[in-house]
Order: sequence, then structure tokens, then C-alpha cells
Amino acid sequence: MSAQTYKKKHETTISGELPDKMTIYQDCMTTFNESPVNAKRCRILISRLLRLLANGETFPENEATTLFFSISKLFQHKNDSLRQSVYVAIKELSKISEDVLMATSSIMKDVQTGSPLIVPNAIRSLTYVLDESTAFSAERLLRSAIVSRDPAVSSAALITSYNLLPISEATVKRFANETHEAIKDPKEVLGDNPERDYPARSTFITQYHALGLLYELKKNDKLALLKIAQECFPNWVLKSSIAKVELIKVMTDLVFRDPSLFESFQNQLEQWFASRHESVQIECAKMITSFAMAHPSYVSSEFFASTITLLQSMLTVPRPPTLFAALRILNKVSMVSPEKVVICNPELESLINHSNRNISTYAITTLLKTGTDKNISNLISTITKFIHEVSDDFKIIIINAVRTLSLNFPHEWKSILDFLIDILKNSEGGFDYKNSIVEALIEIVSFVPQSKEPALENLCDFIEDCEYNELLVRILHLLGKEGPSTSQPSLYVRHIYNRVVLENSIIRSAAVVALSKFALTKNDSALNESIISLLRRIANDKDDEVRDRATIALKFIESSKENIKAQDLIQSKYSYDLSSLEKKLTTYMSSNEDSFKTPFDASAIPKYTEDEVKAMELKRKQEQLTNADLEGINNEDEEPITKRLDTNTYKGATLDEHEQDLLSTQYIEELLSIEEFKVFGNLINSSKPISLTESEAEFEVRGVKHLFKEHVVLQFNIANTLPDVALDNVSVACISQLEDESQLEELFTIPIERLLPSVESPCYIAYKKPEGIVLDEFVNTLTFTSRELNPDTNEVYEGDEGFQDEYEIDSSVLSAGDYIKSSFVSSFDTAFDELSNSEVAVYNLQEDLSLQDVTNRLITSTSCLPLENSQNVSDSSEHTLKLFGKSALNGSKIALIVRMVKSSKGIALKASGKAEDATLCSSLVNGLL
Amino acid sequence: MSLYTVEAVLILDSEGKRLYAKYYEPPHGSLEQQQTKTDSKAISLLHPHFKTVKKQEEFESKLHAKLGKQDDEIIIFNDHLILYQHTSDITLYVIGPINGNEIILDDTLTGIKSSIDMIMGPYGGVDKRNIQEHYDEVLLAIDESIDNGIIMENFAATIAARVSKPTDEEPVTLDLDKGLMSAWGFAKSKLQEMQQNF
Repeated sequence: MSAQTYKKKHETTISGELPDKMTIYQDCMTTFNESPVNAKRCRILISRLLRLLANGETFPENEATTLFFSISKLFQHKNDSLRQSVYVAIKELSKISEDVLMATSSIMKDVQTGSPLIVPNAIRSLTYVLDESTAFSAERLLRSAIVSRDPAVSSAALITSYNLLPISEATVKRFANETHEAIKDPKEVLGDNPERDYPARSTFITQYHALGLLYELKKNDKLALLKIAQECFPNWVLKSSIAKVELIKVMTDLVFRDPSLFESFQNQLEQWFASRHESVQIECAKMITSFAMAHPSYVSSEFFASTITLLQSMLTVPRPPTLFAALRILNKVSMVSPEKVVICNPELESLINHSNRNISTYAITTLLKTGTDKNISNLISTITKFIHEVSDDFKIIIINAVRTLSLNFPHEWKSILDFLIDILKNSEGGFDYKNSIVEALIEIVSFVPQSKEPALENLCDFIEDCEYNELLVRILHLLGKEGPSTSQPSLYVRHIYNRVVLENSIIRSAAVVALSKFALTKNDSALNESIISLLRRIANDKDDEVRDRATIALKFIESSKENIKAQDLIQSKYSYDLSSLEKKLTTYMSSNEDSFKTPFDASAIPKYTEDEVKAMELKRKQEQLTNADLEGINNEDEEPITKRLDTNTYKGATLDEHEQDLLSTQYIEELLSIEEFKVFGNLINSSKPISLTESEAEFEVRGVKHLFKEHVVLQFNIANTLPDVALDNVSVACISQLEDESQLEELFTIPIERLLPSVESPCYIAYKKPEGIVLDEFVNTLTFTSRELNPDTNEVYEGDEGFQDEYEIDSSVLSAGDYIKSSFVSSFDTAFDELSNSEVAVYNLQEDLSLQDVTNRLITSTSCLPLENSQNVSDSSEHTLKLFGKSALNGSKIALIVRMVKSSKGIALKASGKAEDATLCSSLVNGLL
Repeated sequence: MSLYTVEAVLILDSEGKRLYAKYYEPPHGSLEQQQTKTDSKAISLLHPHFKTVKKQEEFESKLHAKLGKQDDEIIIFNDHLILYQHTSDITLYVIGPINGNEIILDDTLTGIKSSIDMIMGPYGGVDKRNIQEHYDEVLLAIDESIDNGIIMENFAATIAARVSKPTDEEPVTLDLDKGLMSAWGFAKSKLQEMQQNF
């Protein structure tokens, strides 16, 4: 190699684009193995190598190992500048090479005798060279580093211990005392770097690392955490703002475990309101609002208001991150209790035109929540101007906010509808965006009946020029469903038939189905005739599917005059419960005993009428509204990533609800598969599982009530949480409170033969009951024979007879609510007035509950659907709750208005119920609480 | 509650190409994983959006397309909290979980950004060329700010003071194996240096 080329190579590689991977590899191999080592060149080469890795390049394992080996040779060189780079390289290469262990002794030596600059780097690299079996060997080094006066050394040791925690918890636990000391002892002596003269100072961030590590070590010990938190309260203890934020997170964890602690934290939190660090203020506000939403009764309204004032003051700062953070919290609060955020409206309005679109979107969606009847239409016109300027993501957020408006302010439907129609027709946007508009429209149509005709007419215009098949199909379905019951069905027929003439086969098929539904229109024979002739024409379509659908539709229409069943097939009045339908079908497909000769039996699958489906949908939406918002603040970073994945892909109801639904269906199926219960006939209603024990009890019991026409079955799902003990012959003794007057006659009990540790099994008790509504209350006692288990074999010791024991659990009540299914009605007041039997009852509650608590309780106990947004209490002193449901026995309607007033003496309730069934009405109204 | 608060640090150029990228994950998995021990190998805890280099690059180019010209400082993007700052022809990003404390992430961004500003000062300030030429110092500055996603330090001067300068030290001993030509080249350069200093 001539001097010339050598020099040239040097120059090109110093800057700009990287040479290729092999050149760098070769360069590294020669330069690192040179003797003596050229420290400057080595450092440049290492950084080049790391640039390569940062760009996503990788080396095969053998090359990575050779590289690692050559780099670890550089430890012989005493230059700190090179050494620091070597440590970064070790960190990166440890991911692709298996042989990192061989650097251990050099690193250990640096930890003990390295220069002050290098020691922290050496300590941190221990994370990569230690494993389960060698971690203990670093115990002494880490322990003495934690107590170092140099914050960089102490932090490095704390962070390394934190990183090693999953593989060496036992070792790290031994530094608990030193870690605890590190919180209280502010480290100030910076190890100096003679080369650099920046105004470095200690930021005491070591306190943050120590607190984070100590939390992990003590997180199962509530009292220890509380003690640590209290030690940190005095102002002089924590000097680092980020450590204060961590402390607030620890306190958040504590109050969610034990809400009664909140009061004792309040003073401290108030002090932090005045902190000069916005991070601390924001974290305080996050904690208080999320806690208040979960446990409203523990936070006084004055304190909550002062939190809102704090956030309000942050809305006028110029820094986007602060604005963003404050808005995000206010937005969440506004979803649950908009009235508390109203005072921020002037500040929010001034942010509508902020250049950061996230900030303006949050401002608008919050305003939409806090909006009152008076300013809604004003707001909507502001958004109409704004929406065309933002990207699709924000548009969708805004549309969803408008959508909830239509649930909360049904009487404002006109301006909301105009807004949606306007953006549907006049704005550009992708499928997701248009889809969210159409969904919002479908929702308005189904929950606000007055809006139906104008909305449908506009949708008809929209499908004349719509590029998305999916949307066309959905709209055609909607037209078919809602069109026949409008005042002018023929209008829609024209639009639908246009699609048959102009569109592709997918849309033609959907249009055929929609058209056929118009043939059933209230005996309008002219329309009927024209539908038949249209379908006849379509029956010659060139596409198979379209033709088939038309032919079938014609057949149905012809026979529908005599045959009700055919009508059902054209316009179905029921829909199946999809999750149990799916489950049944899967079992049917997989069992296949006789090559599908037995037809699939759909009779056991629950069917719902349209009102019931709407009720469920509305209920889910109401729950989603409250839950989704709480979720956002509550879930800390520790939320496992796998769950995050699920919630990302699963866009229906939240995971928990879905699980709960599945659980109920599972219980029902288990029940129905038991021979003894088959004679009882069809299951009429099942309650939601209710926990009858504390969540951390020795035995966890959940109760479910199943109703049959002439029978009641109480199901108790019992879980054994004791290790090493098996329970034999487990059953529940239920004693009626009514004693001899009880109308229920116990038939039989199905006990659990043996319940092993951490297993859950059901026990059933069946009763015969007279037809109609029977109410009762049972005092429950768990009875069983406990037997010790041999921990080695997990079997019961031979000859151990065990001993009989009892365990008290909560009582079960068979109430009127168990006979009701929630149901939707579009106009509650009219429905209420139409019902014949009425009943009024008055209650006085002495307990200290908020009106929201009472409302929630009533919704659960009556199993009815809250309507007109009355499930949210907006005024803390009085509220009116409107509930609607149907009898599970005979489908008769029941409506309930509960007025409540809260005063210093307690809560007064006045419940007026009206129903078709007088017994149900009086049992419900008189047994509310 | 976890100390792992930063998901990634990125430096992209004006075309959205990667100058620096580091996606963080706990180095030894989570405690729960180790206790259940379903698999002896620790499962990667990288956010599913960042599992492969391809996904990372896709994320970066989308991020750049969205923010390249905007000066919003903070946004939510793909369920991540993004804090960013433009400087001449590069952009520095700090990415955190969607529920992260916005101000803490912003302080972290400012800490890294200003420490790089301080270090690059003598070279004529932060730009793409200086980042590439003094990549070793950029690497160290970020490494001294964040360890596996844990914020180590967010005060710029304290970070910058921990970044060692590239050494000026040249090997003094002559290696005779290298041959006469390189010895001559070395002597010549030394002579030139002395001449200049003179």
C-alpha cells in the first residue's frame, strides 16, 4: 500500500457517507489488532461500526464474535477516550455476539480501578456480561458503587441493578438498604473530566433511580411503600424534579390500592401545585383526576376544582408540550364530568386555532364535551371551518366527538346531522374517514328517530357518487332496514334500483336484498307490484349471486302472504347472539359425528329483538365512554405489551367487557350441558357473575342466578386459593331469609367432589318455583371437608380423613331486576306515559354515597337501560335517572323514573315506575335498594 | 411506574434518512417473564411497532412525512408520544409511550439536544455533516443520557461533561514492520506539523 492510497482512504472515510460493511469490518480487524494501538483511529472506526449497526446492518455471529474479541483487546490501552467508546461498542455487540462474557474480568477491573470518567461506563456494561449464574459476583462492586459520593457512579450502579433485576432479584434485594440511603442522601461530588469545562452540576437524579429501584423491590409491601413515600414528603428530601414525579407515581399506585390514603396525601399534593417544575404539576393533576374518576367519593369537589384551576393556568403558557399535557388531562376529565371543565372554556376557545393540530383537536373535542345546549350549534359551525384543514386522523377524532354529542344532546340532531352530511359530501378524505362519518350517521339514525328521513335521503344522494364498496353495501343495508317504515318508501326504491343498473356485482347483490325488503311495506300493493317486476328483471342478471338472490327474494315474496316464516327471512325480526352462535357452530363443525346428518340446532342460541340489540349497543357505548377514558390515565407504563397488542388489533368492545361476555356465555353453556337441568326447559335469564367474597380471600366465590320458567338455579363458582389443601364435597348451604314463607322449594344440589388448589369449579343448587315473579334472599355458607395435600405428589395423604369446615360468604338476593332485560326505546317520555300500571316508592339513604354511586347501583340492580344520557350525574345535589327494560318472562315493558336529591341528611329517592305487568312494577319499585 | 420511560431516540436528516436510531427495551426482559419461565430465552419487549428493522424504518419514514415540515414539538403518532426539534438540516426525536409524562420526555429531548449543541459548538454547530463526522461524540452523549430506556441525566452540561473528546494521542513508537514508506510518511507529517507550529 503506497502512502498515497493510504492517505486517500483516510480522507474519504473521515466524513460523509459510510463505506460498505466489508471495508469497515476489514478496517476494524486490522486497526484493532495493530500494535501499538492507534487510539484515535480506533475510536473513529468504532463509531463507524456503530453507525453501521444503527442503520440496521448486522453481522453474522462468527464475525460479530471476532469483532468483539478484537475490541476487547483494546482494553489493554489506557486511553479513556478510546475506552469510553469501547464500552458503547460492547453494549451494541452484546446483542449479536454470544461471547461477551470474556470481557468480564477487564470490566470488573475498570469498575474498581478505572478513572472517574470510565467507572460509570464500566459499571453499566455489567448489564450485558452478567447472567443468572454470575450476577452474584458483582454484588460487592455494585453495593459499594451505590454508596459512592459521585452521582454518575451511584446512578450507574442503581440502573444496572434495575436492569439485572429480572435475572438476579435475590442479589439486588441485598442492596435495599443502600438504595434506600441513596434516596435520602443527595450526591453532589461530580467526577470531573479534565478535558471538558462545561458548567456541569449534580441534578440529584440519582434519587430518581434509587426510588425507581426501591419501588420494584418493595412493590408488594404496601406499608413499606407508604413509609418510603412519607419520608420523601419534606421539601428538602427530594431535590430532583423527576424523582418527585416518580414519587407521585408511587403514591398513585398506593391510592389505587387503598383509596383511604388519598386524604393523607392531599396536603403534599397541594404543595406540589406550586412547584416550579411543570412535570411535577402535570403528574399531580394526572393522579388526582384519574383517582377522582375511579373513586369520586374520596376527592372533595373543592380540591378537584383547584386541580382544574391549576390545569387552566397551564393553558396560557406558550410551550406546546405543557399545553398538550394539560389539555390531554382536561379532555379526559371532560368525557366523564364535563361540567367540571366548563370554567376553562375561554382558554379552550383561544386554542382552537393553535398551529399544533393535536392541541387544537384536543381543545375542540374538549369543548364539544363541555358544550351546553346553548353553544353547541355555534361550536359546530366553528368546526365546519376548521375540519377541512386537518389530516384524516384528527378528522376522525373530531367526528367521534361529534358522534357522542348526538347521544348526549339528541335534540340538537339537526345541526349535527347537517354537519355530518356537509363533510360527507364536501370534503376529501380516505376510507377510514368517510367510514367514521357513515358510522356516525347510522348511529344517529338508530338512536334519534326524528333524524331518520333527512339522513336517509342524504345518504341516497351520497351513494350516487361513492367510491367505496364497503360503504355502499352498509348504506344499502341501512336503506333496506329503515326505508320501508318511512313515509315515502318509493323514494328509496328508485335510488337502490339505480345501483343495480350502474354498479358492480357486490353492490348489485346488496341492492337486491335491500329492495326485497320493500316488498313487505304495509300492504302498499302498487309498490309491492313494482318491486316484484324489478326483481324479475334482475333475475336475468349476468352475475350468479345477483341472479340467485333475486330468485330467492321473489320466492319469499310470493309465499310471504300466507307464510310468516318467509316474511322473517326477508326482514328478520331477530338476530342471534353472535358469540354463542359462533361457539355452537364451531362445536358442531368439529364434532361431526354423523357427517352432518343431524341439522344444526339453533334453538338454544339466545335471540334478540331489534330493541334489545339497540339496548345492548347503547349500553356498550355508555360503558365504553366512561371506561375508555379512565383507562387512558390509569394504565401506567407497566401495562404488559402483549395486552397492548391485543387492544390495538381488537377494535370492538374493550377487552374486559368482551371477557365478561364470554364468561357469561361459558357459564350458560356449562349449565345447559348438565343432564339434571335439561328438564327445566329453556333458560329465561341469567344474571351477571357477582363476587361474593373479598378478592384476596382464601376461597373466591362468584354467584350467578339462572332463571327458568318454573325453576331457579343458583350457581356458585368457587376457586381454592390455598396451596396444599384440597377441598372435598364442596357445596353451599343457602338458607332463605323468608324461612317458612319462602315459595321456593329446594330440589337438589350438585356439589364439587374435589377442589384442588388454584382450580375453579361450579356448584349448583336448584329450586322449584311457582310461575311468575318470586323474590327471595339467601344467606350462604360454604361447607366442605378440607384435606391436606402431599406437596410432592399433589395427592391427598392416605388415611387423612380431613375435617369439616364452614366459610361464610355474602348473601344472594333474587330481586325483581333478575326478571328484567334492558331494552331501548327511542322516546322515553312517550313510552312512560303510555304504560298503564304505576307504582311510586320513596327511599331515604343514610350512607355517604355520591349520586353517581347510587345511579350506578340502580342501573346494576334493576338490569334496565339508562336512557337520555341519565347514567351520568352532572349535578352533585340532584339527579333524575330514566330506566327502561322488558320482562324476561313475557316481554312486557317497564319504565322507571328515579328522582334523587342529596342533602346533608343523606339521599332522598323517589321512584315512579310504570309497566304493563303490575306485579313486576310493584316488585321492582318497592325492592329497589 | 417503571423506570423504562423512553422507547426510542432518533436523528433523521432532511430527507428522513436515519443518522442515528436507537430503540430501547429492558435488557433482561421483565420480572414476570423470568418468573413464569415459559421460554428460557427472554422474549423481546420491544414495542410491536418496532420489532424489525423494516418496521422501524417504515415508522421513521411515516414520522418524517408527517412532521418533516411541521414545527409542533409534540404529537401523538401511532399510539406513541413524540417529542421533536428541528435544527438546521436534522431532526431529533424522543419517543415515549402514549401515557408518558410529556414534560419529562421534553426535558430529556432538550437535555440531549443542548448537550449535542455544546459539543458541536467548536465544530461550527449541529448539522448533518458534523453529526456524521463527530459521530463518536454523538453516540456518547446519547449513551450518557439514556441507558436502555432509563433516563440517566437530562441536564445538558452534566451530560456533555461526561463525553470524552476524541484523543489527540498518536502512537509514538515506530513499528519497523510497517516498512520504510510508512515510516517516511510518518516522519514527513511530523516534520510538517513542526513547521506549521513554528
